Amino acid sequence: MVYRRDAGTRQADLGAVPPTPKETRSQPSGRTVVVAFSIAIVAAVALVAAALLLRDDGGSDSPPAQLVDLESIPQDGLTLGSPDATVTLIEYADFQCPFCRAYAVDVFPTVLEEYVRPGRVRSEYRGLAFLGPDSETALRYALAASLQDRFWQLQHALYAEQGDENSGWVTDELVRELAEDVPGLDVDRMFADADGNEVDELIDRANAQAQVDQVPGTPTFFVRIGDEEPYRIELPLEPDAFREALDDALRS
Amino acid sequence: MRLAAGLAALAGIAVAGYLTWSHYVDSSVLCVGGGGCEEVQSSEYASIAGTPVAALGLASYTTILGLIVWDAPRARLAAAALALVGLVFSLYLLVVQLAVIDAVCVWCLANDVVIAPALAALTALRLRSWGPGEAPSARLGRGSP
Repeated sequence: MVYRRDAGTRQADLGAVPPTPKETRSQPSGRTVVVAFSIAIVAAVALVAAALLLRDDGGSDSPPAQLVDLESIPQDGLTLGSPDATVTLIEYADFQCPFCRAYAVDVFPTVLEEYVRPGRVRSEYRGLAFLGPDSETALRYALAASLQDRFWQLQHALYAEQGDENSGWVTDELVRELAEDVPGLDVDRMFADADGNEVDELIDRANAQAQVDQVPGTPTFFVRIGDEEPYRIELPLEPDAFREALDDALRS
Repeated sequence: MRLAAGLAALAGIAVAGYLTWSHYVDSSVLCVGGGGCEEVQSSEYASIAGTPVAALGLASYTTILGLIVWDAPRARLAAAALALVGLVFSLYLLVVQLAVIDAVCVWCLANDVVIAPALAALTALRLRSWGPGEAPSARLGRGSP
């Protein structure tokens, strides 16, 4: 039987010899084919409708994040948190990367409240700008704010307002509006510093460090314990995953 | 032609598998410069009720491959029908990328423009080579011999 079926298949593929009665008996009729294809079309339309109705909100289309309160936490340039913390969470990120926004919105508040605010962990940002012009514009303003130790407020606000990739969303108006909400930030000085040498140097330093660390994309996270060599962590962007990684680091 | 259809299904499994994997496992390193994959993959259209569309594609391609391996006439019909569903859904995803998200993911494009149409065409052609039109309903026991 196996032989006959195989033979039938080969013959049919050649299209020269009619199938044996055994196979033709189980062959679908033209009507069956039409019915099957009709069902397929209906199923496809239903699937598209379901996809449109049940699409998941998330990523860059999710609602703006609530701004976190960073006022009482020490900042030093690009570092947030107590200088006495033994564990540092290092993040390589791009202001236009939707997954970096997901971290900022979905995970960072947990890291902040449970680890940084109590002084257990420091958070360090290393900004890259490889997704386009808006990445660099945003990075320059944020780095300029870091010169006044006011980086983290502006960073968080920029992620909350993240627009479509390279749509020109990082306008001077947006940045000024966000920056004016940052207590203690001299906004005019920030605008003046954004194109300055110090910001150039910070960008060059982060790029060089990213090469050394072989950063494959953003966001990429490293954990440094004390003065030890940082090690890379690859995690889903969920609070529990970061809790586990930071608890591990704090235990060791 | 069976081999070609099988290879198309395997290509689909590879692409959908990669996209599913990156959705679940490697979401932390998806913004890899220039391309719109991260934007497409993180958009609200990338999943349906929590299930990534890439996982749906992976399941469909795997099923089609199974049907191609099975290769009974009805399996061929089921493969062609499922490939047709995949084609229509791929066209929808293509329109969403171009018109709504305004970003194109090269992996998704490979699936939507090359693999899904190729698989739909190949599975449909294999159906034709069996000559379903020549198979009278009598052979299914529904008419006179």
